[in-house]
Amino acid sequence: MLLPKFNYHEPRSVDETTRLLGEIGREASVLAGGTDLLVNMKLGKTAPKHVVSLSRIEELRRVRRGQGSLTLGACVTAGGLNEHEEIKAEFNGLCQSAGSLGSPLIRNLATVGGNIVTARPAADLPPSLIAYGASILLKKEKSERTLPLDEFFKGPGQTLREPDEILCAVILNAPPPYSGGGYVKLGVRKALEISLVNVAAFLALDGPNGPIKEARIVLGAVAPIPIRSPSAEAVLMGDKPDDELFEKAGNAASKDAKPIDDFRGSAEYRREMVKVLTKRALKQAYEEAKLREWRRWK
Amino acid sequence: MSEYTVVNSRAPRVDAPDKAAGRALYIDDIRLPGMLYGAILHSSLAHARILNIDTSRAKELAGVKSVVTSQDAGLVKYGVSPARYDETVFCHDKVRYIGDEVAAVAAVDLETAMEALSLIKVDYEELPAVLSIEEALAEGAPLVHEEYRGNIGAQVHQEFGDVEAALAQCDVVRTDTFRSKRQDGGFIEPQGCIAEYDANGNLTLRSSTQSPHYVQRTIAMVLGIPIGKLRVIKPYVGGGFGPKVAANAMEMAACLMSMKTGKPVKMNFTREEVFLYGRARHQFVHTLTTGVNKDGTLVALKNECYLEGGAYSSFGIATIYYAGSLLGGPYRLQNMKYDAYRVYTNKPACGAQRGHGGVIARAAWEQQLDRIAEEIGMDPVELRLKNMMEAGDVSCNDLKMNSLGMRECIEAVRDGSGWKEKKGRLPKGKGIGMACGFFVSGAGFPIYRSDTYHATVTIHVSEDGGTVHVYTASAEIGQGSDTAFAMIAAETIGIPLDSVKISSGDTEFGIDLGAYSSRQTLMTGHAVKEAAVDVRRQILGVLARELKVDISELDIKDGLIVFKHGRVDFSHVRTRYSKEHRGWQGLPKGREPLTFQEAARIAYLARGTIVGRGKYKPAELGGTHKGAAVGTSPAYGCSAQVVEVNVDMETGKITVEKMTDAHDCGFAINRTSVEGQMQGSLSMGLGEALQEEVKFDQKGRILNPNLAEYKIATSLDMPNVEPIIVESHEPYGPFGAKEVGEGAIMPTIPAILNAVYDATGIRFQELPLTPERVFMALRAKQQAKGKNPADES
Amino acid sequence: MKTLINIKVNGRAWDLAVEPNRTLLDVLRHDLELTGTKRGCDLGECGSCTVILNGKPVNSCLVLAIQANGAEVLTIEGLAGPSGLHPLQRAFVEKGAIQCGFCTPGMILSASSLLQKNPKPGEEEIRTALSGNLCRCTGYQKIVEAIQSVGERGQG
Repeated sequence: MLLPKFNYHEPRSVDETTRLLGEIGREASVLAGGTDLLVNMKLGKTAPKHVVSLSRIEELRRVRRGQGSLTLGACVTAGGLNEHEEIKAEFNGLCQSAGSLGSPLIRNLATVGGNIVTARPAADLPPSLIAYGASILLKKEKSERTLPLDEFFKGPGQTLREPDEILCAVILNAPPPYSGGGYVKLGVRKALEISLVNVAAFLALDGPNGPIKEARIVLGAVAPIPIRSPSAEAVLMGDKPDDELFEKAGNAASKDAKPIDDFRGSAEYRREMVKVLTKRALKQAYEEAKLREWRRWK
Repeated sequence: MSEYTVVNSRAPRVDAPDKAAGRALYIDDIRLPGMLYGAILHSSLAHARILNIDTSRAKELAGVKSVVTSQDAGLVKYGVSPARYDETVFCHDKVRYIGDEVAAVAAVDLETAMEALSLIKVDYEELPAVLSIEEALAEGAPLVHEEYRGNIGAQVHQEFGDVEAALAQCDVVRTDTFRSKRQDGGFIEPQGCIAEYDANGNLTLRSSTQSPHYVQRTIAMVLGIPIGKLRVIKPYVGGGFGPKVAANAMEMAACLMSMKTGKPVKMNFTREEVFLYGRARHQFVHTLTTGVNKDGTLVALKNECYLEGGAYSSFGIATIYYAGSLLGGPYRLQNMKYDAYRVYTNKPACGAQRGHGGVIARAAWEQQLDRIAEEIGMDPVELRLKNMMEAGDVSCNDLKMNSLGMRECIEAVRDGSGWKEKKGRLPKGKGIGMACGFFVSGAGFPIYRSDTYHATVTIHVSEDGGTVHVYTASAEIGQGSDTAFAMIAAETIGIPLDSVKISSGDTEFGIDLGAYSSRQTLMTGHAVKEAAVDVRRQILGVLARELKVDISELDIKDGLIVFKHGRVDFSHVRTRYSKEHRGWQGLPKGREPLTFQEAARIAYLARGTIVGRGKYKPAELGGTHKGAAVGTSPAYGCSAQVVEVNVDMETGKITVEKMTDAHDCGFAINRTSVEGQMQGSLSMGLGEALQEEVKFDQKGRILNPNLAEYKIATSLDMPNVEPIIVESHEPYGPFGAKEVGEGAIMPTIPAILNAVYDATGIRFQELPLTPERVFMALRAKQQAKGKNPADES
Repeated sequence: MKTLINIKVNGRAWDLAVEPNRTLLDVLRHDLELTGTKRGCDLGECGSCTVILNGKPVNSCLVLAIQANGAEVLTIEGLAGPSGLHPLQRAFVEKGAIQCGFCTPGMILSASSLLQKNPKPGEEEIRTALSGNLCRCTGYQKIVEAIQSVGERGQG
């Protein structure tokens, strides 16, 4: 299959990139891992006049610890997230979701930034990132802004990113003690799958046995964008965590889901699976939360 | 300790080192000087009249060397069987599915060819399309082919014994309907070809094909090329599984354009085009009525089958017979009635895929047999054993089981899987199931009416050096046939495997019907063996005369000449050989054993180049009823499987945890290859049972023409298989060998279905068992129970 | 417009003039005639185009050649040493892990990458490492056994 012709640009820094996008942003696609853009170009779904590659920008590939935060450069790969010691230790849900993306080969190319800006409803990383309360840093030539990730998505393939902006980084705040995250993905096969449904959960407890003082449930592939489940969160807040509570939360979550029928599965099935996956993601989150006293952020 | 030196071993495959090193050449790895690149224009509508095709702008594009349509290709009809030649290279009056070939271009590079395609203007008049069996059979439905009323492309009606009378006598009669979905071959290498027309009017086609012979014949017929001037060569092939057996329009277009331009033309299918071409597994809807006596004796079977065939017949003309005939065994059954209808639809044509029409029929019936076993309170394994045919039995539809290791297979999987301990005792959500199956070792007749041999082989002995070269037109497509034939030749002649070279897949090397219907080990194997015997006879004949002994005194083993009784003075032979090789190091000397190398040299000096010839044609097989030809075979491989599943009762997702498979291949020429075929077959069966389905939208467009959404098993989906080889020593097989390549898949889908029933209490009558399908059934069952709490499940 | 790039492939540096819209897979197979890397789907879904790019196995059909400027690439042709086949290649041959052979180069490279990270992987880890490489012929089992045998012998 052939790629259409395009003008190729390889800026060497974020500043050079934003300057470039300031000029040609409207006719340009940004290339990070290529696992989405190049596929769509081969399928004839898009043929941008310009392709701006981020491959040469070292700083975008770094994971940096700050004061009580972890910053992921936009070009950190899913594989990189899945194998990163600190992510494994502190952000279990994110590690799980990164490890479930595509295949090991795809994970070595696909980036966290790409998985966000392509805004596919079934994407693996955004639900986990939102569950951890992530925010993102967007830069244009003369300004920058930071947004909570859960405000960034507008619809399938649509975000608040402007044509002359790039997503530079994802910022994660240190999770409090006695907190944990979980992520569950449902597909037909055990690899190379686009989620039929996915759910990310985050719980922060007041002590090792609860009650729950913070809860975030994010549903993927059951709405045009990844969505929080206020109903599930309301069920969870203030209560002691146990299987019965998680089941109730799951039932509540399914009410917030807005799935559609498509060739992968029916809305009805997806709605039912929100119940099951929410419960399971919460269990994962709780298992981690119980243990987090000794892994408290330094 | 095997009595054999080469066969029955685990010899590494002869082609494996090149494949491991990345040196093996597949079609797209080959490049010829001056080569052009071709591409096909496909129909974008499922059903439409062609009003006009304007290729003028495409022809004018710089770099375009040829643009062809039906005007250039002609309208000679072809297909797979002469009984159903219903295709032309390009459509001329109408298109019958999205993907139907309308035109082709050849250009200096692929980019130009693709641009040229976009410049071809086709005016269509859209017609209403039929996209399902129901739509196609509906009153007043539009016709895919005008000549086939009611869109029934083929129908079969057979009866053996008296089914209605027999059913009336039965204690238990069950009727069930089973529905599968259209599936795809899923081979990792898409089709491709290079056509090369030289200045002497000789056309060479290299193609990723399973049958150079069928391709050669079809193209010669369609394009009017003298068959003696057309050579088809198969390079390494990255999997076939059925869809690559028949000649395709791409091959014909490449030949045509090469003839027109005088340049080689390469063409490939994209992965999407692989799906558009299809020629893979049909959708089947089987309604089976089975009658038994309460002691478990199988009495009668009525099988009504609808096949959704797509827009052309392709191999489907054979499929429709297999979907009935392959239920004639392996159980003793006196009464069988089969009525089938292959329905044309405006979708890609369906053809043959591993196990052909037998797979879904077997799935439906083996599950029904389990239901019957439950109804009469009999263990499913016992039901099979009770009704099993034995070696020597003939089925009601004239299939003769000269060897049948079915009992051994069943007992092996029963004992090897822990069946007795686990059946009915696993926790909720876990289940164990079993099933049986069998398959032909090659079709009894070629796909075209002919007295042709099914395989011819020559073995050239090197004039010096003691090696032999096997020439066969058979197709190594990954199953290991080259290695098997090299082993047969080595064993039969009595030389080590590394003294044997093999060249295959070229129509210049003889006749071979190709790799389909699981025929090559038995049929081509016979021809190889015969040629090898001929080589032995010629060489030992000269040696006997030279040494003044009777030929019966001589043998060849491990590359050495063996004198069966006493010592024979062969010094003059050795001396003659040494004199010819003055200056050579390491020559055999003195009273060291006489080598095959020396004997072969002497034979050459006496007779000229030694060539052994072999050929094979099955004996007259089968009955005289219509369609008797399909299903007859010189031998039948058979197998039994036990599968354990784990059903996630909350999501419906099924995990196959363990598979125990026993296959009677008669005699394993190469044990590792037989196991590999078993494991590969089971992975296809697993995929088809749980994950695979080609999906269409309402306009007839394939929704998932790619390997992300058409879901073959990944390494995480496929469990380990405990493979057990059973050897029943087939009298009509070379060394007793018969098939494994297609038969092994037969029990897989029903073993999974029966295991899922054991786990969930639900009988699934529709494939694939996706998580959603299973979940919905579990929920329905739960709700039904809720309404009637007294129900046991 | 073509750009001059420099790629080190199998230890040897190449200067190549490539159009931006050509993939690494195209350039390896066509410009460098390294046809051991295969094209099965062109969309990153089958893994037969696997190469090791700067130490990581990737689908080369989803990498622009121009992105690989300055990179190190290992293809199947680069795996064998001066003394013959790599232990993984030999194990695949011995264990019957090769049938049609089309997925083999990608499988071997994914396996070699795994063994670099973990010389003695367990079965689950092996299967996960291979989960982006599709095979329709073998059912994966003999491939897993071949890789396990190399791990056990400590040859990875």
